[in-house]
Amino acid sequence: MPKVKTNRVKYPDGWELIEPTLRELQAKMREAENDPHDGKRKCETLWPIFKIAHQKSRYIFDLYHRRKEISKELYEFCLDQGYADRNLIAKWKKPGYERLCCLRCIQPRDHNFATTCVCRVPKHLREEKVIECVHCGCGGCASGD
Amino acid sequence: MAHRLLRDLEADGWERSDFPIICESCLGDNPYVRMTKADFDKECKICTRPFTVFRWRPGRDARFKKTEICQTCSKLKNVCQVCLLDLEYGLPVQVRDTALSINSNDAIPKSDVNREYFAEEHDRRARAGIDYESSFGKARANDTILKLQRTTPYYKRNRAHVCSFYIRGECTRGAECPYRHEMPITGELSQQNIKDRYYGVNDPVAMKLLNKAGEMPSLEPPDDESIKTLYVGGLNERVTEQDLRDNFYAHGEIESIRMVPLRACAFVTYTTREGAEKAAEELSNKLVIKGLRLKLMWGRPQAPKPDSEGSDEARQQAAVAHSGMLPRAIISQQQSQIQPQDQNQPMHYFNIPPPPQQERAYYPSMDPQRMGALIPSHEGASNGPSGSGENKSGPEKQQQGQRYAFQGMPPPPGQYHHQLYPPPYGYMPPMPYQQYPPQYHSAMHPPQPPPTNQHYQHSAPSATYPGSAPPGSTAHSGSTPAGSAQPGSRPAGSTPPESGPSGSSTPGSSQQ
Repeated sequence: MPKVKTNRVKYPDGWELIEPTLRELQAKMREAENDPHDGKRKCETLWPIFKIAHQKSRYIFDLYHRRKEISKELYEFCLDQGYADRNLIAKWKKPGYERLCCLRCIQPRDHNFATTCVCRVPKHLREEKVIECVHCGCGGCASGD
Repeated sequence: MAHRLLRDLEADGWERSDFPIICESCLGDNPYVRMTKADFDKECKICTRPFTVFRWRPGRDARFKKTEICQTCSKLKNVCQVCLLDLEYGLPVQVRDTALSINSNDAIPKSDVNREYFAEEHDRRARAGIDYESSFGKARANDTILKLQRTTPYYKRNRAHVCSFYIRGECTRGAECPYRHEMPITGELSQQNIKDRYYGVNDPVAMKLLNKAGEMPSLEPPDDESIKTLYVGGLNERVTEQDLRDNFYAHGEIESIRMVPLRACAFVTYTTREGAEKAAEELSNKLVIKGLRLKLMWGRPQAPKPDSEGSDEARQQAAVAHSGMLPRAIISQQQSQIQPQDQNQPMHYFNIPPPPQQERAYYPSMDPQRMGALIPSHEGASNGPSGSGENKSGPEKQQQGQRYAFQGMPPPPGQYHHQLYPPPYGYMPPMPYQQYPPQYHSAMHPPQPPPTNQHYQHSAPSATYPGSAPPGSTAHSGSTPAGSAQPGSRPAGSTPPESGPSGSSTPGSSQQ
């Protein structure tokens, strides 16, 4: 057989510290993926997926950018391996998007009249106070609220 | 986005349009409505042809509405594309057709291919500009239909639908549920069918409306033979005495017309009883002035006159407001104002509703008469609580309380135009306005028993500053307006009125 190059994952230092949390989050995600859809609306079935994805990315973002507890190398490693969403974190670095729930909610192409999702509107400017956005179930991700 | 492969548009008669044909109620109250347009999005509920669907939200508390039937179908019956009610009258098709005796039902086929063919033909003709027979423009307005029609938009039908999970008790969405959490209304009216409604056949709402129309009471002449007055209700500012005169003169000689803008009504008195009866008979359900449907009923004689009627209310309010909300001065002044009762013509009123007695805390601002509304009266007798029309003059002159007496006379509308109306709290009108009051004083000088002057002065400032004037304290009332109003204009304001001729400015006119 010809030599097949395999890609073996080489974990950088500091991985042992964050590994348990990441494994836990991954397990949670798997659970959400396998959840039955009974009693839920069609859009509602996807909400946990978005929520956990947000959680995972948030964890890694916080560790590196806010608490500065991991190295750049480890951070990049996590992003490459898919433990966090690079694009979502990119948005979090921008002013006004610090609490963004998911990338769908700011995509004007996905909405009528080329607007964003209602969860991006600050609570004091909205008419309905309690909402669940249809994409990710977010209740309000404007930076002010 | 997937690209839809469409068939040849022209050949199939699929409908395309630029703007929906909808009624005011369905469009909503928001002038900034945003509407999406989707070509061939749904099929028409009547003719099942694909058509352009428009979707919008008719207001803040409304659900999203979309066009349900195509424009061809809606033009055939002259109805709104969403609610299927007539565009002009807001009535169901069946009601409108029976009222106007239009019968176009046979021409429109209802089944299958016939229907589609007819719709397409019609559409083609309309697009080509060939004039087809439309009975809707030519139908003249019937008085029945004018009575039945909806005059204002009805936004209740734009509310969200009832939450079906809530009915079963299972709504887990809670606060964010966009549907109404109410029990649904059951009954015969809830079983409606869009096709029935469109063709005007077997429509329960229409039946109900027609029954109601059939039972509209005719006006019975009252037993009391001396009543020659008709009550006209539902007036608007646009309806003038001349309009009433024009409408009523044909049936008999009018003795007098008395308008009460406060209650949006008027009383037309004939010299003869026969004239009144004739007018009632002719106009009873057909009175429409300037597009406004008016209600006509017989007047009822009432011993007290309208101005004392107003002060009766005032007296009642005064008794009610005994919690001290009203300064005692006002109450005493109201009671004293009840005295002038010299109306040589008894006025007939019909069922003036009694003032709301259950409100224990009665604020002067809740009484329109005090806030600047006028009660016109022919004889100029004083009436009503003070400070109503004359609040503007109040701040200027705490001393000249007795001026307020003349609000009984309806001031010429032109002059009143200049005054601040209604008077805001504690607002001192600028200097120029203060020129007007002196003219009033000379023009309208009602006879006033001097002792009442005392009451008027005290009450005048308190009436003007109900918010700031401490209740029941007449001594302070003079000083509080000074505190709240601009002090500069007050002394200046008092001088011109004081210089105005006024016979009744006896010792009471000095500042207390």
